[in-house]
Amino acid sequence: MFLSELLASAIRMSIPILLAALGAVYSERGGVVNIGLEGMMITGSFWGAVGSYYYGPFGGMILAIVAACLMALIHAIVAVTFRVDQIVSGVALNILAYGAARFASIALFQKATMSPHVDGFTPWNIPLLDQITFLKPLVTNLSPIIILAFLLVPLTHWVIQRTVFGLRLRSVGENPLAADTLGIKVYPLRYSGVLISGVLAGLAGAYLAVEHTGMYVEGMTQGKGYIALAAMIFGNWSPVGAMGAALLFGFAESLSFRVVEGGAIPYQFIKMIPYVLTLVVLAGVLRRTTPPAADGIPYERGGE
Amino acid sequence: MRKRSKYLLLEIASPFLAIFFAVLVGALVILAIKKNPVEVYRTMFLFSFRRLDSLAIILFGATPLIFSGLAVAVGFKAGLFNIGIEGQYLIGTFLAALVGFAVKGLPAFIHLPLVILMAMVGGAVWAWLPIYLKVRRGVHEVISTIMLNYISYSLIHFFIAEVFMDKQQGLAPGVGNPLIRLPKIASTALMPKMHGFLSLFGIDLPDHVYLNWFFPLALLLAVGYYFLVWRTPFGYELRAVGQNPAGAEAAGIKPGAVFFKAFLLSGAIAGLTGLSDLLSYFGYMDLDFPRGYGFNGIAVALMGKNGPLGIVLAALLFGFLNRGAEGVQAFVGVPMDTIVILQGVMILSIVVFSEVMGRFIRQQEKKEGLQGSVVL
Repeated sequence: MFLSELLASAIRMSIPILLAALGAVYSERGGVVNIGLEGMMITGSFWGAVGSYYYGPFGGMILAIVAACLMALIHAIVAVTFRVDQIVSGVALNILAYGAARFASIALFQKATMSPHVDGFTPWNIPLLDQITFLKPLVTNLSPIIILAFLLVPLTHWVIQRTVFGLRLRSVGENPLAADTLGIKVYPLRYSGVLISGVLAGLAGAYLAVEHTGMYVEGMTQGKGYIALAAMIFGNWSPVGAMGAALLFGFAESLSFRVVEGGAIPYQFIKMIPYVLTLVVLAGVLRRTTPPAADGIPYERGGE
Repeated sequence: MRKRSKYLLLEIASPFLAIFFAVLVGALVILAIKKNPVEVYRTMFLFSFRRLDSLAIILFGATPLIFSGLAVAVGFKAGLFNIGIEGQYLIGTFLAALVGFAVKGLPAFIHLPLVILMAMVGGAVWAWLPIYLKVRRGVHEVISTIMLNYISYSLIHFFIAEVFMDKQQGLAPGVGNPLIRLPKIASTALMPKMHGFLSLFGIDLPDHVYLNWFFPLALLLAVGYYFLVWRTPFGYELRAVGQNPAGAEAAGIKPGAVFFKAFLLSGAIAGLTGLSDLLSYFGYMDLDFPRGYGFNGIAVALMGKNGPLGIVLAALLFGFLNRGAEGVQAFVGVPMDTIVILQGVMILSIVVFSEVMGRFIRQQEKKEGLQGSVVL
């Protein structure tokens, strides 16, 4: 029972990381580093709570996606069209998102740091499997977003590997000049990669606020956007790999909540686990991973 | 020659254009909450520049940002992005506070420099792992420093709350809860305020101003930064590696070694960031010690284009925005966070404007070069 509960909580913890990491796959496969994921998640968590508060959970998801997409659009304009350093643009975006969420929170809820309680979706149970006692925590009380997130993994794999769009996206991430020569439009593809990452990061933030916590709290993303980026790198820029890494990080986080109850190790050290794990994983495994060749390099048509 | 000065003018104008653009966006945000932007901006200016205490508070507010901005800039010059200032200065501040309260009986002229040195050591130590991982294991410093920031939050929390917490805060039994903080720093390690010095010139600052000697120290460091980066062989290597690591290596410079030195230096400077608050304002370190100077330092370095003068000006601009925001919140009822948005937009627009302008100038110069006129 303990094990299945631990796994169930690990899966719930991994969802925001998974969604944002899938977003990062689209963005980076198209050649745009997206460190602004954190800011897009902050935006998603806030507007997700706002939407749910006024229009219910579905409205929350929509509003979060739209708001995070606007942030992504800024990143695309600054980093793709104006070719500013992509990390600089992402960091600036994170500062902007933080301030904007505080500001909007004051304007709407008269409080900078939290929203009122909001209701999430009605949880789902998976029929038949929920009859087995051992599996019960794993297959009952599931947010539909959890199921959606796992469905998005094979979908992303298919889109990236098997569709024309995916092929072109990869080509502008690997060698934009060659792609351009063949008549593939580099900018629109890079824009769509970044915008899709905005959609997924917004959804990740909304899940965190609406489904996981039931309210928006300032700083609730706790660097999950950055961890998602690490998960995507650990997963070697592939959706399936990113899922494995996200589950690992989710497991570490849920473990940290369980160990607190034991009390043998100070809880501050338990809280470090996901971050230390990220460092260890990057230090140990990065050598074998290969980013898209033109990842992070702005492309200029007819460039110097 | 006249052409060169024309471009220089354009280059200087670009940050101002960007600030103007950000001010326009800020006006829209203010309009959105049904306030009058003209009144808001007017209040910001009057409150900030017509009061002596405001002016001194702006300088005090700019002090940590000059340090963190210079720390970021040293990294940038070598092509490294140190997002870890945040963690580095927390660790540095903690070590400084530790030596500040644990060591007793030293004269001030030894104790204070020792505390400052410890802050630099703390920052450099916290910068060591990310640069080791980058040079030896190929881990991008942005991700590793962000992870180390979060680790430092927990570590500091542990040390303050569980190990070194001040249990004797002199509260009468049953009166309030003790703060979760370290013991107070010995008076020999505190940095004096500038009140006495300024009163020699007839400037009498009120008591609620905490402008202290770290401000001139920060200016001095900016000058030192200029000499180091543009006037020494090491600075030359730094810039060479930053612009083209492969080219620098071909010229006999070892990029790995330069990366190490630059990043540790960046961490050491970052360690100084919290000291103005620690040694002049609080006198102890608690769980709520100010955060965010690291991220604002990135903004300051970007806005100042990594130049010493630009960084000082950008830090002053942030000091002004923060002080102005207080005035606006108090007198016009506009939340201070409006100003954080303004800062975010300003950073984005400044990097975009300078990128676009730089490209335009390079293109023009290239054209003129083709026509045969001498550039440079």
